[in-house]
Amino acid sequence: MIRRFVLVVLGLIWLGPTYLLVVNAARPADTYDPSRAWIPSPDVALIQNFLQAWNRADLGQSLASTALYSVVSPALGVLIGAMAGYTIVVLRLRHGFLWFMVIFGGTIFPSQMLLVPLFVGYSDAGLYDTRLGMIIVYTAISVPLSAFVLRNFFSGVAFSIFEAARMDGASTLRVFFRVYLPLAASALAAVFILNFTFIWNDLLFGLTLSQTAEVRPVMTALAGLLTDVYAGTPVPVGLAAGLVVSLPTVVLFVVTQRMFARGLALGGLS
Amino acid sequence: MTGRTAPLLGRFRAGYVSPAVLLVAGLLYAPFVWTAYLSLTRYDGLAPPEFVGPANFVKLFDDPALLTATRNTLIWVVGTMVLPVGLGLLVAVLSYDIRGGAWFRVPFMLPYALSGAGLGLVWSPILSHDGIANRLLGVDTAFLQDAPLNTIAMLLVWTWQQLGVNTLLFAVGLQSIPKEPIEAARLDGASGWRLFRHVIWPLLAPLTAVVVGLALVASLKSFDIVWVMTQGGPGRNSETLAVTMYRDTFVAGEYGYGSAVAVLLTVVTGLASYLYLRRRA
Repeated sequence: MIRRFVLVVLGLIWLGPTYLLVVNAARPADTYDPSRAWIPSPDVALIQNFLQAWNRADLGQSLASTALYSVVSPALGVLIGAMAGYTIVVLRLRHGFLWFMVIFGGTIFPSQMLLVPLFVGYSDAGLYDTRLGMIIVYTAISVPLSAFVLRNFFSGVAFSIFEAARMDGASTLRVFFRVYLPLAASALAAVFILNFTFIWNDLLFGLTLSQTAEVRPVMTALAGLLTDVYAGTPVPVGLAAGLVVSLPTVVLFVVTQRMFARGLALGGLS
Repeated sequence: MTGRTAPLLGRFRAGYVSPAVLLVAGLLYAPFVWTAYLSLTRYDGLAPPEFVGPANFVKLFDDPALLTATRNTLIWVVGTMVLPVGLGLLVAVLSYDIRGGAWFRVPFMLPYALSGAGLGLVWSPILSHDGIANRLLGVDTAFLQDAPLNTIAMLLVWTWQQLGVNTLLFAVGLQSIPKEPIEAARLDGASGWRLFRHVIWPLLAPLTAVVVGLALVASLKSFDIVWVMTQGGPGRNSETLAVTMYRDTFVAGEYGYGSAVAVLLTVVTGLASYLYLRRRA
């Protein structure tokens, strides 16, 4: 009972700013007043506010590109990272810890540091302002986290499972796809979500490596609009755009929460 | 490795890690090498880089802005361990194996969906001088002006955003630990803190290593929130190392000096995660 009480109180605190976001995003653009921000407006103008942002920043194409990047890149990244983790932990790759450090080491570089060299390199390689280029850079960024989490996960799986599968004649690759990946479903989903969110919300790489409306990701398209808030774009319009563009991530969270809840129910403890 | 298991492991192992290694090497390490070279030059982004040796690094250690940035980054690291990580663990444990536990976690996940720009939009009206926080608390505090209060205020915003991810990761970990030891301890009458401290915490250790490792690296690189909310100001007093680097490079146009800050930050982050991982591995 105390546990539920603490969770509810903390949850309400957390919902406070979320409430402000929703209420003010739905407010007619010309009636925003900071001192009355808590009080919902009787008129709901969320759709109008969002459409205004849509037209100002030409969000349609950007949304399509971003959807492509944030699904394809984390999926590739999770697969590549999981395979590395499997090879290092289960197949006991020689100098495995060293290789792991090399791969995980990719996370230590501050992304702002990568911008200038990547811009120069992409321009030379013809990858600047291409969808392929964006997918490659986002995949590379997804790999270290995937390798890290999956390596830890696989090290908790009994080696006898691997031995049994191999004795049955399955190849190492087949054991990976048929035994280890399904076992790690919840970890794979968690990593996918984290990378999806990072890429969906990425601003810096989009800003540096893309230019045209077809390639440019949505946050980059929005950024112009949002930094503009103080000079033209009304606050509710900026909030509405930020809110609607965050919806896919929210839906993903809520859907996977249910998956986690079901996994918990199936996992015993009756 | 014994002779018996060796053939089981297959021969094509190096092939399985190479995609990961190639991607990381080409897109993350190569830019670092280039930056390391630039850190030894004077370069304005237009004229060719002029080699100056370690001059940028010498200048670095005399720079008062760097001292402030180091202090702020330290606050970010320590604060991240206590707030998003510690509170995240608390929420995960509290919602563990109660009915509808996953739904209790939803409010904490929502802010994680917001981008940095969205965060600025939500929190600036709350923390500004005539903002909602001051009205609500009935005080008159310059949340984003005085150091180190502004760093702590932004740390709270960071907690608001990040808590949910850590909760999610801890929840995944709690779900994957074996149920038998917990049941056995329950039958022996353990509950609450004792059950957590002596049964759950040790079983959760591998996942804790992941969460703390990620939080360590992320907090050393803190950038987005600071850039959106204060741009490191006023008077550079809320800069973190990543912000200092960005400002020196892209605002001041001193690519060589900015690269030196980047190298310093990378070395610190690398060293911290190496020491941490080696201890845990």
